[in-house]
Amino acid sequence: MKRQQYLIKKISWAVFTIAVVLILNFFLFRILPGDPARSGIHDPRLKKDAVEAIRVRYGLDKPVINCIEKVNPVVFGGCLVNPLDTQFFIYVTNLFKGEMGISYHTNRPVAEILVERVWNTILLIGAGQVLAIIFGVIFGIFAAWKARTTIDYAALLSSLLAWSLPTFWLGIILLFWGSANGLPIAGKATPGMSSMPWTDQWADILRHIFLPTLTYTIVFMGEYMLIMRSSLLDVLSEDYILTAKAKGLSTFQILKDHARKNAMLPLVTVIAINLGFTVAGALQIETVFSWPGLGGTIYESVNRRDFPVLQGTFLLINVSVILANLIADLTYSYLDPRVQSES
Amino acid sequence: MEAQLVEHKVIAKSSPFLDFWKTFSRNRMAVVGLVMLVTIILVAVFAEQIAPYDVTTSANITSRDIYKPPSAAHWFGTDDAGKDVFSNFIYGARISLTVGFFAAFISIFIGGIIGIVAGFYGGRVENLLMRFTDVMLVIPDLPLLVVIVAMTKPKLMNIIFVIGLLGWTTTSRIVRSQTLAVKSRKFVLRARAIGAGNMHIIRHHILPLVMPLLVVNAILVISLAILNESTLSFLGLGDPTALSWGQMLNFAFGRGAMSAGAWWALVVPGLGIVWVVLGLTLLGHGLEQVLNPRLETHHLMPGRPVVQTEAGNSSPILRSARPVLLEVRDLSIHYITEGKPPARAVENVSFTLHEGELMGLVGESGCGKTTLMLGLLRLWPAAGQIVGGKVHFMGRDVTAMSEQELLDVRWDGISIIFQGAMNALNPVRTIGDQIREAIIKHVAILPGDKVDDRVVELLDLVGITADHKEHFPYQYSGGMRQRAMIAMALACNPQVVIADEPTTALDVMIQAQILELLDSLRKRLGLSIIFVTHDLGVVAEMCDSVLVMYGGVTAEYSDVDTIYNSARHPYTQELLKAFPDLSKPEKRLASIPGYPPRLDALPAGCRFAPRCPVAIERCHLEQPALHRLNGRHVASCHLVEE
Repeated sequence: MKRQQYLIKKISWAVFTIAVVLILNFFLFRILPGDPARSGIHDPRLKKDAVEAIRVRYGLDKPVINCIEKVNPVVFGGCLVNPLDTQFFIYVTNLFKGEMGISYHTNRPVAEILVERVWNTILLIGAGQVLAIIFGVIFGIFAAWKARTTIDYAALLSSLLAWSLPTFWLGIILLFWGSANGLPIAGKATPGMSSMPWTDQWADILRHIFLPTLTYTIVFMGEYMLIMRSSLLDVLSEDYILTAKAKGLSTFQILKDHARKNAMLPLVTVIAINLGFTVAGALQIETVFSWPGLGGTIYESVNRRDFPVLQGTFLLINVSVILANLIADLTYSYLDPRVQSES
Repeated sequence: MEAQLVEHKVIAKSSPFLDFWKTFSRNRMAVVGLVMLVTIILVAVFAEQIAPYDVTTSANITSRDIYKPPSAAHWFGTDDAGKDVFSNFIYGARISLTVGFFAAFISIFIGGIIGIVAGFYGGRVENLLMRFTDVMLVIPDLPLLVVIVAMTKPKLMNIIFVIGLLGWTTTSRIVRSQTLAVKSRKFVLRARAIGAGNMHIIRHHILPLVMPLLVVNAILVISLAILNESTLSFLGLGDPTALSWGQMLNFAFGRGAMSAGAWWALVVPGLGIVWVVLGLTLLGHGLEQVLNPRLETHHLMPGRPVVQTEAGNSSPILRSARPVLLEVRDLSIHYITEGKPPARAVENVSFTLHEGELMGLVGESGCGKTTLMLGLLRLWPAAGQIVGGKVHFMGRDVTAMSEQELLDVRWDGISIIFQGAMNALNPVRTIGDQIREAIIKHVAILPGDKVDDRVVELLDLVGITADHKEHFPYQYSGGMRQRAMIAMALACNPQVVIADEPTTALDVMIQAQILELLDSLRKRLGLSIIFVTHDLGVVAEMCDSVLVMYGGVTAEYSDVDTIYNSARHPYTQELLKAFPDLSKPEKRLASIPGYPPRLDALPAGCRFAPRCPVAIERCHLEQPALHRLNGRHVASCHLVEE
């Protein structure tokens, strides 16, 4: 019963946040100047019927939403218009149909571009996060166990340093090093690899993903290490660790069976909070290594002023982060049986 | 005279700052960070004086100057426009720092106001503001920054504002929780009671206490703002007229520094960012340690080696017909901290525990009882050390055991019922699982179902039904948890059980149940129990012998009848006076004035002398020896000599 309430609370919060993001995404791209399709309408060189055609094509002839005719500048209008015939409603229904508009640059549906790219980002973030968590946890356990020794100070300093590195700059430095050592420096695969056997193809992808993943791992490992260290220090000074020691368990058994799970609880929260930084990291890394993912898509569409693609990517990223947060919350409630009884 | 007074006042007034500065300057991390930060700020301020070249003009630059490697003329080479990288770097510091500080100022201002308003006013306002903060916290910063900056004009001012307007979420959360904590403190309630207005309370009572946290948070916000600006610039969204470090990297990366092998144009600006952010991070980390110091010690740190000494020649005491299980001879345990006198927690304590015996260990808090008990299994924190004496358990010397041998004695030979079972049980593992673990560790391996049978049997022994086996500690009541702790302590059929105040924090009915349970288990299983307690009533009722400790030493040790009927040590006598006697209800209860001595600053003479009602001059000068009174009775008091 309590677990159900917890689930319902978390899920409804995620739904609410997604709704806020939908609204933000809709208005943000209408309020801010800069979209050629919308600002181009004011171009005096265009003929009147051409302007009208553009307006109809993008649905701009319809009121934005009930009571608001236009934004930027805001013009209030009739509140009694058919809500089904407003820009906002059409935007939402199109989204549910999976339509996110057409790219200005390639004339392809935005959804199609995103589906093609999202897997590359998931691959990169997935590999990077898993490695960063594994190494961060291991080094964090070591640092806490050997607290106030040289090992601990070295680990602490190097993780503070790793935190201070701008992701894109570390990428550039590794790119420099990689290109000097014969590693591929751009993209996901060598052109023409598709005719090779799949083992070679995978080996090729592995060579391409090595540097981006390494960058990712270094940048995120430091923080996970710090969190793990400090939360393990807290756990190891708890009374139940003394109980475990009194029971005659070895140091390794205590770390493995009594401390690790408890100490990793804060880590789950941090991983969730970090998802925003994760996306920021991916954006920078994909740009530096020309990795064909969502981050790279943002960079390209900004430079090409390809606003439908930008809008779609932005929405997809935000919704994914919200869902990932939800998953983290649910994982937490599974790991810590106390959560359900408290909240 | 008056001048002296004034001077004194000034010193007194500035002392909190001086204290802070003292601890701060001892924190190497914080000092290094501050120095790094100040250096780069000076470089930015005196850019004109430091930079060897004027970066505003392109005069005298030819195409041959592009990407020239470092030389005497150009320490860090030249960039894609043939300009001196070092000079650009110095002016870049100015722009990057300006953006960082201004944007962070905006963020902290907004976050501070939202946090204080939410925390202070509470109710619906708080709910609304915090929901808003939560939504903003979930939405990733950088894509939003990119979208907004890409759609507005790339002017430095715009960038500062956008970064500032998006970076306040962490601040508002921290400020809110601190405000909430401060709001209900006494002095705020008092100020409100005498009619202080909200603004007055916020300005004079809340802000000063929120400030330290805000400073630490500001350092984080500044470094994030600098990182965000450089990322935006690197992505080509910066102000093209303001050559920040990020912009330098953007130009170099986009204009062929990589293929030209011009590493200097890529490395140098990045090092600037790392320098500032690392400086800020070190400063922030150090400040946090200074403002919120924590002892970084834990239970798994390696203990100090035992100092092997021969036990003193005090002959074994308390012989009885039953075989001896545990014999402690002249045991001394000190806590050692660098640069401080050792805390002499236990000194020259001896006792003997026989099979089936229940010994009471009595004394106020801070008298070394717990240290002594943990010492029997060498379980104290890393600072503790056995500096003398022996512990013999069933004929084996515990002080000379290897780590591996110790692991075998723990729980299997001697187990502990810890006080406060809520904290002593692992909150994320089921009770059954924690009992099972002890059995598997020590008892010869049985098939799985037999271990479970044993767990059920143990729980049954303490009156917990089998259906509670797979429950977590938080699902148990306080009394059940303590009983589960007892079941766990009995899991491996130990010879000796140490019960460390097993009934504190429980209500009287449950206390009685637990004590009855322990006593019946002792009789059924033939356990020997050391019972650590404040409760002399329990001792009188259950124990065979009593050890009274004071300030780390034995005050008196004897069988229970002797202690109750003819105690000789004044401390024991005072303790007994503090305990209600049902046969003399008209007698007033007495308490002992004062507190036990600090174990790192013990008096020169008898440790109880400062509080002793019958102390003579000698008591303050000379430590009393442990006097043998008759057979089983010892007491450490000069007055028993006569």
